[in-house]
Amino acid sequence: MTLSAQNIIKRYGGVVALSDGNLDVFPGEVVALIGANGSGKSTLSKVINGVVVLDGGQLLLDEKPVNFSSPQAAKDLGISTVFQELSLIPQMSVAENIWLAREPLLVGGLVNKKAVWSQTEELLSLFEGTYKSKLKPDSVVGSLPPDEKQIIEILKAVSFNPRILILDEATASLDSRQVQRLFELVQKWKQEGKAIVFISHRMEEIFQIADRYSVLRNGKTVGAGLMSDINERALVNLMIEEASVFNHARKNQASLDAANKDVLLNIEDLKTDVLKGVSLSLREGELLGIGGLMGQGQRDLLLALFGDIPHSGKISLKGKLVHFHHPKDAIKQEIALVPGDRAKEGLLYIRSILENMLLPSWREYGFPLRIRSAQKDATRVSSSLSLKMSGLDAPVSSLSGGNAQKVVIGKWLKRKPQLLLLDDPTKGVDVGTKAEFYNLLTQLCEEGKTIIFYSSDDEELIGLCDRVLVMHDGVIRTELSGEKLNKQNLIAASLGSVNGSEL
Amino acid sequence: MKKFRISPPLAALILAIVLFLLSGLLPNGYGSDVDVAIAQATNILRLSVFLGVIAAGQTLVIISGSEGIDLSAGSVVTLSAILTYVMVSGQNDKVLLALLVALIVGAIIGFLNGVGVTFLKISPFVMTLGMSGVVTGLIIIINHGNVSGKVAPIMTQLIARPLVFGIPGAIIIWAIFGTLMWLLLERTTFGKNLFAIGVNRTTAKLSGVNVTWMNLAAYSLAGALAGFGGFLVVGNTGVVFIALGQPFLFPSIAAVAVGGTLLSGGKGSYWGTMAGAIVLTLITSLLTTMQMPESVRRMVLGGTLLLLVSIYGRQKALRQ
Amino acid sequence: MRRSPWESWLAKYPALFAMIFLVIAISVNLILQPNLFEGDTLNSNMRVFLPMIILAVGQAVVILSGGIDISVGGIVSIVNAILATRVGLEGSPEKMWQFVFISILVGVGAGALNGFFISVLRLQPIITTYASGFLFAGIALFILPQPGGGIPSDISALYRTTRPLGLPLAFYIIGVLLLAWWYIRSSRYGRFIYAVGGKAEAAYETAVPVTLVQFSTYVISGLMAALSGIAITMLVGSGNAEIGSQMTLNSITAVVIGGTAMSGGIGGVVGPIIGAITLGLIQNIISFANIDTWWTTFVNASIIVAALAAPGLVSLFGRRRS
Repeated sequence: MTLSAQNIIKRYGGVVALSDGNLDVFPGEVVALIGANGSGKSTLSKVINGVVVLDGGQLLLDEKPVNFSSPQAAKDLGISTVFQELSLIPQMSVAENIWLAREPLLVGGLVNKKAVWSQTEELLSLFEGTYKSKLKPDSVVGSLPPDEKQIIEILKAVSFNPRILILDEATASLDSRQVQRLFELVQKWKQEGKAIVFISHRMEEIFQIADRYSVLRNGKTVGAGLMSDINERALVNLMIEEASVFNHARKNQASLDAANKDVLLNIEDLKTDVLKGVSLSLREGELLGIGGLMGQGQRDLLLALFGDIPHSGKISLKGKLVHFHHPKDAIKQEIALVPGDRAKEGLLYIRSILENMLLPSWREYGFPLRIRSAQKDATRVSSSLSLKMSGLDAPVSSLSGGNAQKVVIGKWLKRKPQLLLLDDPTKGVDVGTKAEFYNLLTQLCEEGKTIIFYSSDDEELIGLCDRVLVMHDGVIRTELSGEKLNKQNLIAASLGSVNGSEL
Repeated sequence: MKKFRISPPLAALILAIVLFLLSGLLPNGYGSDVDVAIAQATNILRLSVFLGVIAAGQTLVIISGSEGIDLSAGSVVTLSAILTYVMVSGQNDKVLLALLVALIVGAIIGFLNGVGVTFLKISPFVMTLGMSGVVTGLIIIINHGNVSGKVAPIMTQLIARPLVFGIPGAIIIWAIFGTLMWLLLERTTFGKNLFAIGVNRTTAKLSGVNVTWMNLAAYSLAGALAGFGGFLVVGNTGVVFIALGQPFLFPSIAAVAVGGTLLSGGKGSYWGTMAGAIVLTLITSLLTTMQMPESVRRMVLGGTLLLLVSIYGRQKALRQ
Repeated sequence: MRRSPWESWLAKYPALFAMIFLVIAISVNLILQPNLFEGDTLNSNMRVFLPMIILAVGQAVVILSGGIDISVGGIVSIVNAILATRVGLEGSPEKMWQFVFISILVGVGAGALNGFFISVLRLQPIITTYASGFLFAGIALFILPQPGGGIPSDISALYRTTRPLGLPLAFYIIGVLLLAWWYIRSSRYGRFIYAVGGKAEAAYETAVPVTLVQFSTYVISGLMAALSGIAITMLVGSGNAEIGSQMTLNSITAVVIGGTAMSGGIGGVVGPIIGAITLGLIQNIISFANIDTWWTTFVNASIIVAALAAPGLVSLFGRRRS
């Protein structure tokens, strides 16, 4: 069965995720779908497996146009996707999860437990030898470590005996042994005539397993061909943009000044559930970047600093040891955190812009609250951020993504924090707002504020930051600064290369 | 269907007026007699005060979100009524002390509710329902048959009788109370934080709000307000009995819903609850006038709340 | 997903918690009433416990799928009112059967109403079933404004004395319930219930008919409430519109101490059955312990609150340790 996605267009509200997405999938081979964050590759995979509906272009299945009415429809046609454990029920067992809604039945409607058990064992045996614990069909999924959960997701997708298998960042939680086993299985499946779409960041793996490649950049397919005809450097060049909107001049100046400033923050051996011992030192006025693939502990670092999660280790602020048990302690020390998911963590959607902006600060307005004064302050902050709104009393839900993010930032800027922590703040924000945001950050640093900036967008890190610490698996792997801080090194460091040396 | 932008409290008020006008048309109604109409309206307003005050605590916990509700309000009302009754024993100088005790006892019960909800992760519905049983048990222990006591004259004077310009004291008390509630919800950090935790506890915490403390405070305050309600109720009726507070419980929740406060939390006002209390008192009074039995009252109230929730309370669909 | 230690432990041995409680309750009860296991006493106890056992089963199914049914007490009251007024003390067995059948329809209908509001209109279960419960209580009161009426005394006598093969009738009914549950548990439908209760979005992604499953659990709960109402009417022999009002909280408590978590997806029906028996034994203990009559309500309610608090306390304790 061949699948062809041609000139796919997909919009989410005002944002264009895909303007020209293309992918050709042939039986018996592995095609790698490659692209940086925000390139549109996850959107393209969602179009292919029926989770989202395309706005333009066409999908051809065996040369015939097809329209998926639901994810189930795609599954019925033989397209199976491995999610990042979205579809597992934690309270149920491995077997129950894999066969949910498809259990083999006996006469009278009873589930054929023997068949379920044996078929599950068969599936489990595919990864035999790579499990850390004794994984049995009746093991409860919720108690499994992330890598084994991921394997169950893979087995679930495979159990449909699909003609096309989409592996969307499926190796993210797997260890090397499990990845190797997966690749052995992929070879077997190729021989059986299955087609595999391999979506990943990891260059090593792509070169190991893929037969062809297709590269997305900014929503467009910019290159496709045989893996044997290309090398890593060329692929990376296809992935990244040449033009840059950043002011490199500022960087050089700042790094000269930085050495003269005092140390603002010193962290020694910070540990949480995820962090395995992070140490770093930060001077006043620095714009420190945190990079690396998603989920390597960047968020935990920021949350621990802000006092939101339990942690151990030594943190000193301006020379004094501190341990924050609650964000309000950090806020009192003039630290601010702009969280990663503004809908779930940064905003009160049904409340007004005024209330959102003033949320951490009401105490300063006395009793009864001087609303007039608060409105004045909010207006001041909003205009300094060029916030487009119909009025302070409008609910935040009435704002566009970029403006909503400005409310989150405004909330903190109003307090004039000395240390600003940013958790991937420009995700889902349009280009115009991003540019304004970068200027704002640069300006803040010039005013002497200190910033720790985690971003999943490598362009931003390179363009804005003086230094970038690349994290992997709960520790800081590499530090890049000055000349070494460039696109190739950053991507290489994130993807697994250890000392950030030039490719 | 076009959506008219009337604020729910206003809609509730309009509904109340409509219901009142309808009541005039009934056989026992005031017909075209303006004086009787005013007298009846005043009486309805006066009766609404008690439900209104009892629903104040309910408003707070519902705004605080996470399925907040206080089913112990009814029994707290009865308990504080009895305590007041016994402590005052007809003496004016004991009134203030009795009021204080009513508030504190209510606050303690509310605090226990808060502990169960916050630290033991018991759903507010189940926790406060369980607590209601415990408080009822306490009432029976205290009540041991009959209690002896008496309401002080000053209470009757302030609450049941006209005070200024022929306006009953209860209404004036309610007006002051309503203003204080408005101040609390809209002009204090506490109020702003309460709405915040009702909308999104994660955002609230990451903005420096101590969610645990707020939760405990909301339930404790709700208990204290129910205690205040009990104090007023006994001041009005002059007698106590075990089921004194129970008839207020369901209507207190309905009043909050009618007034436009989201049952999921994070949005609402006490003015709305006040309007809701008037609507509900009107409904009850209408049913009484029509000589409908208690069973019909329950059916109408239950059905009304179901209707309200169907209109205001729909959650997100599974497919997005 | 961070699960509390309580939930991880429960997932492995849901009924164990209930068993521990049961053993304690039996032991204390034995001390106060040494003839506990003797034929007559056992029968007498079991038929008193039966209405709550049946109610707990229905509540357990709803809670397993992630919901809750606060209206069960109201349905019990309606059924009791119907039987007490329509059959009456002079009624014939045919009439009894006729209205038993009607009661079952009423229960199913009430459950369907709840199911419609919750699974189709997607309203919150707690407030919806609270409102419908109030409505049902009103209907019951409408049918039977004053306590009175009843069912023919020979039918209640039948309930009292039937002991097939010497075992209490209740055992057989529990047996039927367990059989029915076993069938459900072993079918695809049973897995649907656990899936929806565990993580509804994931279930939806996996083509589980979530709406239908949720709807059906409320119908089951309504049916069980009706059966419970029939049982309690046969036990008491007369009518009282307030008869169900206390039963709702007890049914929830039985489920909680039965190890079926309020969050859904964990536990079963066996635990709640044990939980209901335990609650019944606790009632026994209280009446045998010669506690001052004035104190019984307080003690009862406090035990319920303690039982409801137990899972939370265990979690808290577990968290402190780690």
